[in-house]
Amino acid sequence: MALVPLSYNVRSLFVRWSATLLTVLGIGATVAVVAGVLALQAGFARLFSESGRDDLVVFLRPGANNEGDSSFTRERAQILIKSRPEIATDASSAPLASMECYAAVRRNRVGGGETNVPIRGIEQRSLDLNAGHVSLLEGRWFAPGNDEVTVGRNISEKFQDCKVGDVVVFNTTPFKVVGVFDSAGPFASEVWGDLDRILEALERPGANRVIARLKPGVDLAEFRTALEKDQQTPAKVLTEREYLTSQTKALSFMLIGLGVALGLIMGIAAIMTATNTMLAALAARTHEIGVLLSIGFRPFSVFLSFLFEATVLGLLGGLAGCVMVLPINGIETSTTNFQTFTDVSFGFRVTPDLLVISVLFSLVLGVCGGAWPAFRAAMMKPTEALRRR
Amino acid sequence: MRFPFRLIFQNLFKHPVRTLLTLGSVFIALFLLCTLSSLLTALTAGVQNAKSDRIIVQSSVSLFVYLPESYMPKVKNLPGVQEICSWNWFGGYYQSEENFFAQFGTQPEEFFRCYPEIRMREGTKEAFIGDRSSCIIGRKLVDSYGFKVGDQIPIISAIFWRGDSQPWSFKVAGIYESTSPNVDEGTLFFHFDYLRESLVSGAATGPEGAGVLVVQTREGVEPVGVMREIDEMFANGPQRTQSGSESEFQAQFVSMLGNVPFFLGSIGFGVLFAILLAVVNTMLMAAREQGKDVGILKALGFQRSTIFTIFLGQSMLLAGIGGGLGILISKSLETPFAEAIATRFPGYAVTTETLVLGVVTTLAIGVIAGIAPAFRMSNTKVVDALRSEA
Repeated sequence: MALVPLSYNVRSLFVRWSATLLTVLGIGATVAVVAGVLALQAGFARLFSESGRDDLVVFLRPGANNEGDSSFTRERAQILIKSRPEIATDASSAPLASMECYAAVRRNRVGGGETNVPIRGIEQRSLDLNAGHVSLLEGRWFAPGNDEVTVGRNISEKFQDCKVGDVVVFNTTPFKVVGVFDSAGPFASEVWGDLDRILEALERPGANRVIARLKPGVDLAEFRTALEKDQQTPAKVLTEREYLTSQTKALSFMLIGLGVALGLIMGIAAIMTATNTMLAALAARTHEIGVLLSIGFRPFSVFLSFLFEATVLGLLGGLAGCVMVLPINGIETSTTNFQTFTDVSFGFRVTPDLLVISVLFSLVLGVCGGAWPAFRAAMMKPTEALRRR
Repeated sequence: MRFPFRLIFQNLFKHPVRTLLTLGSVFIALFLLCTLSSLLTALTAGVQNAKSDRIIVQSSVSLFVYLPESYMPKVKNLPGVQEICSWNWFGGYYQSEENFFAQFGTQPEEFFRCYPEIRMREGTKEAFIGDRSSCIIGRKLVDSYGFKVGDQIPIISAIFWRGDSQPWSFKVAGIYESTSPNVDEGTLFFHFDYLRESLVSGAATGPEGAGVLVVQTREGVEPVGVMREIDEMFANGPQRTQSGSESEFQAQFVSMLGNVPFFLGSIGFGVLFAILLAVVNTMLMAAREQGKDVGILKALGFQRSTIFTIFLGQSMLLAGIGGGLGILISKSLETPFAEAIATRFPGYAVTTETLVLGVVTTLAIGVIAGIAPAFRMSNTKVVDALRSEA
C-alpha cells in the first residue's frame, strides 16, 4: 500500500501557517500548564524523598505521624539511645544518636505575611550525623549552651531578622543568628539551635524525636517490630527517607491530582482545537483529497496521512510547551506543607522525564484531535471531492 | 442599519461541528476559571465571614504551643470579657487517615455561649453538656460518613495517644449547623475535660494546656482594647500571647499558603491563553472562508459597519454562548462540589465576584478574537473580497 508522502503534510502545515501557529501555541500552553504543575511536584518530591538517607533512622512516639506530634521525655530518649545495641557507636563507644526537638514558630516573611517556620533544637551529635548533608555557607554553628541559632539558607533569605548578626526572639528569649547553612533537603528551610536552650525558651518538657545511625547489617524490619513491642520505650522506627516521603504524601497527591485533572480538562479543550484546525484544513483541501484518492491512494493511506499531520501539529505543540515551561525550572517558591504545618521552600524542577511525558501528552492530543478529521478525509468520495473547489 | 442578527447566526453555524468544538473550548475555559477562582474563595473563606467581636488568643510563639490552663480564669476576670472557652486541636482521623476532619476539645456550656450562631439540628445542647464522653458533629459529617445521633465515633489521634493503644470514642449527642458561614459545619466538638482527665490520670499522653482561647467580649466594649489587655497581662511569660480578631486568626492560615493563590492565578492565565488562541483561530478561519460572502454583501451595498458587526458579533456570540454555559455550569455544580471537598476546604462558593470575573473574561475573549477579522473584513475592497477563495 502506497503512503502519501509525508512532505505533503508538512508543507500543508506551513502553507496554513497562521492556523498552525495558533494551534501549536494553544496545545503548547496546555502542555506547559500541566508540565508546570508536575514540575512543582517534582521539585517538592526531590527535596523530601531524594534527600532522605537510608542509613539514618528516625524514632517517633508510636502513633505519631510527624515530629510535631511525637514526643519523648528526656529519660525515655536516653534509655532508647543507650539500651539499643543496634545503634552504631563511635570510636569511644558512645552511641551515634541524638535527641531533637522540633516546633513550628511564627515568623514574618521579608515581604510581609506571617507563616510558621520549623525550629529544631539539636544535640552536637546531630551535626556529626548530618556531616556531609548540611554545610555552612556563612558564619559558624551555634555554640552548645548558648542562645544562638544557625539558620537554613531559605530562612535567611526569606524571613525577617534572620541574617547573620540579627537577633530573633522566641517567646521571651532573644537568640543571636551566628551562621547560615545549606542542605539539599528540607533542612534548608529550618532554624537550628541548641536543644536545651530551645526547649527552655519554648517552655517545652522534652524532645520530639531521636535520630540514630544503625550498625551495618541490622535488619530494619526486625528492629522495627522489636521496638514496637518494647515495653519500656515503645517507638516507631522509620528510615529518614521513609519519614520524609511520608511528610509529602498529601501535598504530592494534591499536586499530581491537580496536574491530572488539569491535563484531562485542558487536554479535551486542546483536542477540540486540534480537531478544529484539522477540519478547517480538510475543508480547504477537499479538492486535493479528491486528487489523492483518484490517483490511487487508498482511503487508509489518506487517513494515515492526515493523522500524521495532526500528530506533527501535536508534537510541535509539545515542543512549544516544553520551551514555555523550561524558564520556570529552578524558580523557588514556598508554601505550607499542611502535614507539618510549616513553610517549606522548593524549586520547580523540569526533569527530562517530565519533558518526555509532556511530549507524549502532546502527541496523544494530536492523535486524538486528528482522528475524526482524518477519518472524514478517508471517507470522502473522490468524485464529489474533486468537484469542490 | 438593522442589526444583522440572522447573518451573524447563520455564518457562525455554517460549520456546526467546528463551531461546537470552539464553543466547547470556551466552555471549558470559563468553567475552569470559575472553579479555580472559587477554590481560591474556599482557601480564603474564613477571613471574609469572621465575626469581629470575638477574640482569639493564641501563643505568640507558635500555633502548636499550648497556653497554660491558668490563663483562662485570668482572662475571664477582665472587665470587658463576657465569656471564654478553649479549642484544643485533636488531630485525629476516623478509621483511616484519608477520613480526616477537624476535632476540637472545648467547654460545651461556654462554647455555646460564645457561639450563638450554632444551632442544633438534631439532639440538644443539654444532652452534649450532660454527657462527658459525648460529642456534637457538624451536619457535613453526617453527609460524608452517615453518622447518626447515638453512634459511637472512634477517633485515632496523632497527638493524644492512649496508653492502651485503642482509639478514642465519642458518642454523638447531637448534630449542629451554623447560621453563619464562619463556623465550619464539618467539625467534631467534644468535652475538653474528658481529654484532660485521661492526661492527668496517665491513661493517655499528649501535650497539656489549652490550645487557643476564644473570648467573647461584652457588648459595647472595644475588642482591640481587650486584646491589648490580654497580651500585656502575659507579656513576661510564661507564654506570650497573640490576640487577634477571628478574621486575623483565619488570615494567618491564608498567609501560610504563600504563593498558592499566585500559582492558581498562573494556571488560570495559562488556561485562558490556550483557549483565546483557539477562538482567535476559529475567527480567522471564519474570516478567510467568508471572504466571498463579504464581497457579495459589499457589492449589494451593505455598510462597512454591518460587516464589522457581523464578524465581531460572531466572535461575541461564540464566546458568549460558550462562556455563559461555563459560568452557569460552574454555578450549578457549586453545591455538589462544595459538599465533595467540604471537610478539607470548607467554604467553596461561586461568588458574585467570580461571576463578574467570568463575564468580563468572556466578553474580553469575544472582543479580542473578533476585533482583527472585523477590521480586516470591513476594510477590504469589494474586488479583493470577491476574488478571495474559500
